[in-house]
Amino acid sequence: MSLKLDRRHFLGTAAASAAVASLPLRARASTPFTMQAAWINDAEFAGYFIAIDEGYYADESLDVTYLSGGPDVIPESTIIAGRADVALTTPDTTIKAIVDQGAPFKIIGAQYQKNPIGIVSLVSNPINEPKDLIGKTLAVPPVNVISVNAMLALNGIDPADVNIVPYAYDPTPLIRGEIDASLDFTTNVPYTISQQGVEATSFLLYDFGFTIYNDTVVVTEETLAAKRQDLVGWLRASRRGWEENFKDPNLWPPKWKDSWFAGTGRTIENEIFFNNAQQPLMESPAGFMAMTEEGIEANLRALSAVGINGTRDMFDTTLLDEI
Amino acid sequence: MAVEATGPWRGLRNATILLVIWEIVGRLDLVAGGALPGISEILFRLWQDWADYPRHIWATVYASTLGFIIGNTIGIGAGVLFALSPTALRLFRGVNIAVFALPPIAIAPILVLTLSGMAPRIVLAALGVYFVTMTATVIGLSQADSRATDVIRAYGGGRWDILRQVQFRGAMPSILAGLRVAAPNAVLGAILAEFGGGGRWGLGAYLLGSLGRGEPDRLWGIGLVATVIAGLSYAVFAVLATRTIGATRAVTLNTAVPDAAAPAGSRLGRGALTLGTIALPFIVWWGFIKLTGVPDLISKTPFGVVDYLFLGPTAETAQARLLAALAETLPITFIGMAAGLGFAFLLAISSRLFPRAIEAFMPIALVTQTMPLVALTPLLVLILGRGTSLTLWVTISVTFFPAFVTLAQGLALVPRSAEDLPRAYGASRWTEMRMVTLPASLPYLFAATRLTVPRALLGVMIAEWLATGKGLGNLLNQSRGFLDYGMIWTVAAVSVLLSVVFYQGVVIIERRLLRRLGMATAE
Repeated sequence: MSLKLDRRHFLGTAAASAAVASLPLRARASTPFTMQAAWINDAEFAGYFIAIDEGYYADESLDVTYLSGGPDVIPESTIIAGRADVALTTPDTTIKAIVDQGAPFKIIGAQYQKNPIGIVSLVSNPINEPKDLIGKTLAVPPVNVISVNAMLALNGIDPADVNIVPYAYDPTPLIRGEIDASLDFTTNVPYTISQQGVEATSFLLYDFGFTIYNDTVVVTEETLAAKRQDLVGWLRASRRGWEENFKDPNLWPPKWKDSWFAGTGRTIENEIFFNNAQQPLMESPAGFMAMTEEGIEANLRALSAVGINGTRDMFDTTLLDEI
Repeated sequence: MAVEATGPWRGLRNATILLVIWEIVGRLDLVAGGALPGISEILFRLWQDWADYPRHIWATVYASTLGFIIGNTIGIGAGVLFALSPTALRLFRGVNIAVFALPPIAIAPILVLTLSGMAPRIVLAALGVYFVTMTATVIGLSQADSRATDVIRAYGGGRWDILRQVQFRGAMPSILAGLRVAAPNAVLGAILAEFGGGGRWGLGAYLLGSLGRGEPDRLWGIGLVATVIAGLSYAVFAVLATRTIGATRAVTLNTAVPDAAAPAGSRLGRGALTLGTIALPFIVWWGFIKLTGVPDLISKTPFGVVDYLFLGPTAETAQARLLAALAETLPITFIGMAAGLGFAFLLAISSRLFPRAIEAFMPIALVTQTMPLVALTPLLVLILGRGTSLTLWVTISVTFFPAFVTLAQGLALVPRSAEDLPRAYGASRWTEMRMVTLPASLPYLFAATRLTVPRALLGVMIAEWLATGKGLGNLLNQSRGFLDYGMIWTVAAVSVLLSVVFYQGVVIIERRLLRRLGMATAE
């Protein structure tokens, strides 16, 4: 089965980018550039909103179009279809696709140094570590079952000992005790649950051996070849955005009440909680969006525990070096 | 009964009683610890949240209107073509059944993969209306008054004159009735695509953002708004129909796939036609992918799926996973079909025996048809758990309504004189039902079964996706997590294929049985 991009599509893109490259510098003042986010608008993407609003992308001659995600949106699909230049993905799915299907992806940066996904439970019925899950009911979004199985395997737990049911985006079954725990962003759900007058506790899969990034920045090999400078510019501006965001995590979410966060169905207070909670998960001695050798090594090690055998060359750190 | 209320007052009284019960049950948190809030709580929340709504409503109305227009234009155009050419009708029968039977939740991810922006919403809305309107057009056009067509012919009019001056006029009530039934479908299709498709605006997108809050009053509020939009779109065409032609009102249409008379010609010609009928849906599928120009990696043609399932390096595990999922999904689907049909049947009989009780039930029934199931299922889980009973109730709620309407129609059409006979001999209401009404309405039972059978698979897949984590519905979702595009397309194709097979199975049994009993198919 051939999994290469079709040739006409490739030639078209290549020709278009060659045409752009040949233009004089001033005419390149705003290169159209599209990014595909992983979910609906929330604090998870604050750094990009700042970089758009404050003109950091414009400083890099990029005219950024931002596409939000949703349950049916597979970010990697958007870049394969040529509708976006970069996508924010989960590294397990991306690397599995490269290994299994020969998908032409490269990971060029990572937003979360520690994956914020964790096991959330109620203080009244706490799940404090993986072995507490034995005999319990855990709700997991079907797309994340792969991560949970990895964490269980790394901790020597038979997945058959945990009753895994689908998580339908609604914490009500957890609050009402229909399930014992759910898998979700630990930066987000504990707040929602506290709003219902119940206290939540959580732990990260990352802290129990599943040491992967999240919101990895993924491009196709052809985009990497054709738009390298734009990608470096995008990474640089995005890093600026995140630096600005964490100067005061309480500052930005209220400003977007009527823009980025208008009508999302979520509250600004929730976004402020989210923004504070995600700071320690994103910081890296090498700067925001960074990928260190130890980090990449940890990703590959964790994934190999579930039979996803990625290699170092699936990560390209040379763009980060150019920032 | 002490007071005999009549007409609209009785309806109002029943509705009031229902709302009061809802309010009390909700206020006292009797359902699953408050998963069903009181109606006043829902309305208050709606009023508080109102600032959020206009842009979402606008996006939903925009996408569903565009889909409605496109789907109906194609539907009416195709209907005219099919009415003029029985060969075309036969050739497109496969496509038509596939469009009728396809489970939207399997198609939505495919549309989001291959199209962008508003397109998936519009297409899903259009798919929801095409079949109903096409069928209504064919039925309307073919029921033209033959005396009027004879007049045109006698005065030297051609085929086009007949179509324009007689058939179209005669078909108007039927077409308008089709548009009326189609309108809420467009709204629901748009909302489903909004939920998954990652746009910022639309009630589906708002629902997704709101689900994470664990606040049932917000979810019910969104459901209520969706219900009102769907209801209004129905009402607009109902008013339009009565204003323009004063036709009688039907809640739904008979959605039997119109069948052409057996074509004349050689056996070879007929064989070629049958082959074309089967091949055409696959050609449409292939053409769609070539038109969108999406790379092979993510969009699979029919050949791509065959390759994935039988020839590729992972074919063996793919088959195993698919078969395991089918083994989980199919048994419960058959039980779900029976349950949905049985429920509709009980309801239809009850509507004859206890008309008042059923009248009061109808508003609830309507709400279950327009409340997005993604909002309702997490709440149903609290009441029913995640076992078989939840799957069955979701399936019943997806299937019973059109079947009930069809059955009720059938029961109502039994000639009075036939019913009077057993009564004259002192038979009870039930005996009369058993001996006359039920056998006489057999054609409608089959028509209802045709409606139920493809939708049962949809209901089961929704429950699997959101609650039980088994079968095809779960396989579809996990495949997205693994970027397993081959499996995403395979599940979509298999679910459509199964629905078509179920439908065609009923049609074959129906023809055999009714022919033996000397009855006509209810079209």
